[in-house]
Amino acid sequence: MNKKIVRIFLRRVLSSAVVLFLLITFIFFLVRISPGDPSQRFISPAFSPQLAESVRQSFRLDEPLFNQYTVFIRNFAAGDLGISYNYRRPVLFVIGDFLPFTVTFALVSFALQLLISISLAYYTVKRKNSLTDKIVSGTMLAAYATPVFVAGVILIYIFSVQLNLFPSSGIAPIDVHTYGFFRKILAYAHHLFLPFIALSMVEVAILYKYLRDNLNDVFNKTFILNLRANGIKEKTILLRHVIPNAANPLISVTGIELGILFGGTLIVEVIFGLPGMGRLTIEAILTRDYPLVIGCTLIAGVLMIFSNLTADIVRAKIDKRVLIGALN
Amino acid sequence: MYRIFLLLVLILPFITSCRKESPYSPDRVIIGIPSDIQTLNPLYAYTVDEGAISELLFLSLVTFKWDEEKGNLKTVPMLATDWIWNSDSTSLSFNLREDVYWSDGIQCTAEDVLYSFDLYSDPVVQSKLLGSFKSLYLNDDSSIDLDKSFKILNPFSIQINFRSDAAPVLPEIIFPLIPKHVFSKYERKDIATAKENLEPVTNGAFKLSDWSKNQSVTLRINENSFLYNNSSIKEIIFKVVPDYNSRLTQLKKGEIDLTELVKPDDISELKRYAHLSIKPVKGREYDYVGWNNIDPDIYQREGRFISHKLFGDARVRRALTHAINRKEILEEYLLNYGELAAGPVSPIFKEAIDPNLKPHQYNPSKAKQLLAESGWTETDKDGILQKGKLQFRFTLHIPSGNPRRSYAATVIKNNLRAVGIDVNVITLEPGVLIEEFYSRKIDAWMMGWFVPIPVDLKMSWYSDLEVTPVNFVGYGSAEADQLLDKMEKRISVDEYNQLLKEFQAVINRDEPMTFMYWLDNITVYNNRISNMDISPLGVVHHCWEWTINN
Repeated sequence: MNKKIVRIFLRRVLSSAVVLFLLITFIFFLVRISPGDPSQRFISPAFSPQLAESVRQSFRLDEPLFNQYTVFIRNFAAGDLGISYNYRRPVLFVIGDFLPFTVTFALVSFALQLLISISLAYYTVKRKNSLTDKIVSGTMLAAYATPVFVAGVILIYIFSVQLNLFPSSGIAPIDVHTYGFFRKILAYAHHLFLPFIALSMVEVAILYKYLRDNLNDVFNKTFILNLRANGIKEKTILLRHVIPNAANPLISVTGIELGILFGGTLIVEVIFGLPGMGRLTIEAILTRDYPLVIGCTLIAGVLMIFSNLTADIVRAKIDKRVLIGALN
Repeated sequence: MYRIFLLLVLILPFITSCRKESPYSPDRVIIGIPSDIQTLNPLYAYTVDEGAISELLFLSLVTFKWDEEKGNLKTVPMLATDWIWNSDSTSLSFNLREDVYWSDGIQCTAEDVLYSFDLYSDPVVQSKLLGSFKSLYLNDDSSIDLDKSFKILNPFSIQINFRSDAAPVLPEIIFPLIPKHVFSKYERKDIATAKENLEPVTNGAFKLSDWSKNQSVTLRINENSFLYNNSSIKEIIFKVVPDYNSRLTQLKKGEIDLTELVKPDDISELKRYAHLSIKPVKGREYDYVGWNNIDPDIYQREGRFISHKLFGDARVRRALTHAINRKEILEEYLLNYGELAAGPVSPIFKEAIDPNLKPHQYNPSKAKQLLAESGWTETDKDGILQKGKLQFRFTLHIPSGNPRRSYAATVIKNNLRAVGIDVNVITLEPGVLIEEFYSRKIDAWMMGWFVPIPVDLKMSWYSDLEVTPVNFVGYGSAEADQLLDKMEKRISVDEYNQLLKEFQAVINRDEPMTFMYWLDNITVYNNRISNMDISPLGVVHHCWEWTINN
């Protein structure tokens, strides 16, 4: 059994590598055949035309596409994603400036989403059809229907402009480097509270809806009635039987959602001035920074595959019956 | 336990909000910028913000102030205490200050000046000034011939020699200088990725204090600099706030002190805040509608320059300008924060502008008359002008994400329809649009152009398109070429200004594009900043002279 799992796991890793290779190859050609090129930023009255031509040559953009691809693959095999045209630094170093924030922001946001949605779903399912249930369900529907850019602007208007409770932009105060550890944590929490809310509203609503329905289904199963009849504590029923059964279909969805979060949350990043992967990727696309576009795509792909794999492992851990199918 | 934890998570940020972190500091100014800079090396300061910040960190030989009365540059000493031209203006000698040190303690000397010229002109380095040193002696690869162009007289004096046939101007050789002892240890090709581009060794009025990527750049006043004044600001922070509305919100709340490029329709709201001042600066940027003067299909197919079938005739181009109600856009959309353009020379250059040369006025009757003179008449009663079998229809391309140009395109479409011209407006992503008109594939487009100081017209209007690729409309005129050639000769300032006026008259007559309007750069700042000199040279130019009223 274990050997089989290892073999399946390795096959999954190998197929993921192939997917990533095809992805970056596709992006490599797509960005190059699209109109525009990186030397456009040098078409300006401030620069001589010689600069744009010199840049084109040094980026090898004047060479045939296939030659460029061969060089790219050779460098990629050596772990070199190239130099960012904009930043004039290795792509991995540039991504290294943005990725830690995105991963931290995504994970904390994700944890909060799970915490809030599970709590609300459990709370309302126990009070089915009560006023609270109706209010929470209605609120969740409204949250789901509100686009992030609208939610962000409304939150800034209420909590930042009118009530002056939270800052409207940035991840920390200007002087944060002079703060002690705990004050720093509080400062980050203070700055990131509104972005977390804006980002999490829709996700909480989605997760809540899934969980609420699933919990309701499971609570209505006869084996729960049987457990109760046998005198099993309600907490044990919830933790050992209800949540594992209800959470199973949700895990696949959360895997995908987490992967999307890792790829960057452009709108929230722009509205709240956060230094995330979303902004970096869009900036790279708009300025035709080809190596950086490929780098961002690769990292987003890796994180998406990783989060899906993690979700499948968690699903398999909860329900051994799906172990092979989940990993396959 | 679980509930307590949940409650704590939810109320923690509110607890922290009880303790306000005031961004105010008696010595600090915070400027909101839309995107982060990517380098602190002036060699690669390609963007406006990078250029502005590098000028605060690195000294130039001299610096400039804007003479509002004359509309011209006024030269002010910086690293050089004085300078003297020889009798025939073929050489210029600078005497340098001896009290300037780099931030690592090494003295700044004439060797740094020479090395800076060397690096800026080296094609391998690809600096922002590559190909710009036209008056100096050059090698075949366009780098400066150092032996012929420079002579170090002593460690604090340097002589710069110009070609005898060139007409040198001081701004051409003025740029932030860089330390030789830092970059000479690198191969030239590796300078672009040197760590000192991010952790610079500087000698300017400010020094780098902190750079939080994509958040803020903090500069601290250099107390060892001869520019240091005890009463001036001590710290300037460039805070990255990508969203325009967030920048305005922070300005209102006092989280930032200054931001540029404010939209005219936000001004009335901002005027309600007593702590804010509004300063529009006359423009260096104009919007234009480019009419391709040459046939794009024939150019693409055969590389030949044949007059465009619609826009090849100057009368048609003038007619199009007369048909467009630019004043309406200026009044309705820009709320008069700008002025109608008569040509490519900004009205800020007061001595170079001919006061008698007026912008073409909105006059649909005149437009119809000019079109008729050019052979465009309505013959088949469909409301569209015709010339033979050719109908006057074209596509106007505009960039996406620019509401001002979208608004203007709607006005243009309606105005031109009224004189019998059918316009189809297409929106393209800016990068795609630039590619299209740069390769001369499209008939008409709307974009903007930013003019350099001092005026440089040859790059945009000379007819040899191989050497002037930014002549996007493909304008060609022997008369204009002759004037542009004369401007490059050794002539007096008065003669130069006279030639500029004659050139503007030619452009006004040929109207190679429709010059829409010069746009004001509207800066809004907190009243606590004083002693500011906001000019066309930039907002933070010479900001070490700013003071704070607390």
